[in-house]
Amino acid sequence: MFADELKTLRRLGVRHVLLQILNFVSVLASGLMIWKGLGLITNTESPIVVVLSGSMEPAFYRGDLLFLTNPSDARYQTGDITVYKIPGADIPIVHRVLETHDYPPNNKGAVAASPLVQRQLLLTKGDNNAIDDIELYQGLEWLERKHIVGKVRGFLPYVGYVTIAMNDFPQLKYALLGGLGLLALIQRE
Amino acid sequence: MVLLAAISLSSYILTANPKGEIAVSSIQVFPGNARRYSNKDQDFAFVHFNATADLSPLFNWNTKQLFLWVSAEYENKRGVKNEVVIWDRIVRRKEDARLSILGRNKYAFRELSASFKGAAPAHYTLKYNVMPYVGVLTYGEAARTTDSVPFPDRQELS
Repeated sequence: MFADELKTLRRLGVRHVLLQILNFVSVLASGLMIWKGLGLITNTESPIVVVLSGSMEPAFYRGDLLFLTNPSDARYQTGDITVYKIPGADIPIVHRVLETHDYPPNNKGAVAASPLVQRQLLLTKGDNNAIDDIELYQGLEWLERKHIVGKVRGFLPYVGYVTIAMNDFPQLKYALLGGLGLLALIQRE
Repeated sequence: MVLLAAISLSSYILTANPKGEIAVSSIQVFPGNARRYSNKDQDFAFVHFNATADLSPLFNWNTKQLFLWVSAEYENKRGVKNEVVIWDRIVRRKEDARLSILGRNKYAFRELSASFKGAAPAHYTLKYNVMPYVGVLTYGEAARTTDSVPFPDRQELS
């Protein structure tokens, strides 16, 4: 079945195989670099997220891709769509801001280094939910800036469904990775 | 890919800035119980408002829906700046974007300190978020009350 491929592999020699592996690894590395670089520019830990639930329908459906920023000098306003992560919960949630409460800077001789320092309390709600998110906060009364991963700025439908499919059917993930790896090894320049 | 990029870029060109009006017709404050702490005494404000606006120019070929909301902006006694959404609506068709709303608050309007006493008069605004089929989300303000509306004294429930 793989006789042909094995033959070509043998012909190309160890050096070529190593070179292909190096190629593959550098593709992975640059992918990671792009991801981390985007994270640096946008100041968020995950600049692109996939919608996992239907709580923001009809705006966002499962599998839609969202692009986030989290500028350190901007405060959040009502109507902004935030992605937040409650400590203890591993899945980030995409919901819209319903209430903001900005504490005044405490003028005790100190000047705030950035608006981030000033306390802001947020309450969120999913467009498709009837009530606000207090139940989701796991005992917290309000969301604070430190819980927020970012603010949704851009939208691309459906594309993220690939990752949901890969999570639901792990075989698909291995098949895809294996296929890619094999291709990288076998293809000739 | 190129088409998607072109469509998302087109929403930078196809912009509109429609304006409307909003006025508060009545506002009352009553005591009640908070949802989480059922024995905590908490003020709730009840706001009736009228809003008219023609937001149909916001609909272009890349507009999936509008998210509209009315929020109250005020500063409380301790200088905390608050913005509270009291009403919202999703508009999915251009025909529904000509608004004439006689509304009242959909969501509980509470104060952080549990009492509206001493809070500065509030401005009420009608804002929108244009959500595209693909591309960037844009925001805008369609209307703002001309004068700020003071909070009345709390009425006791008889």
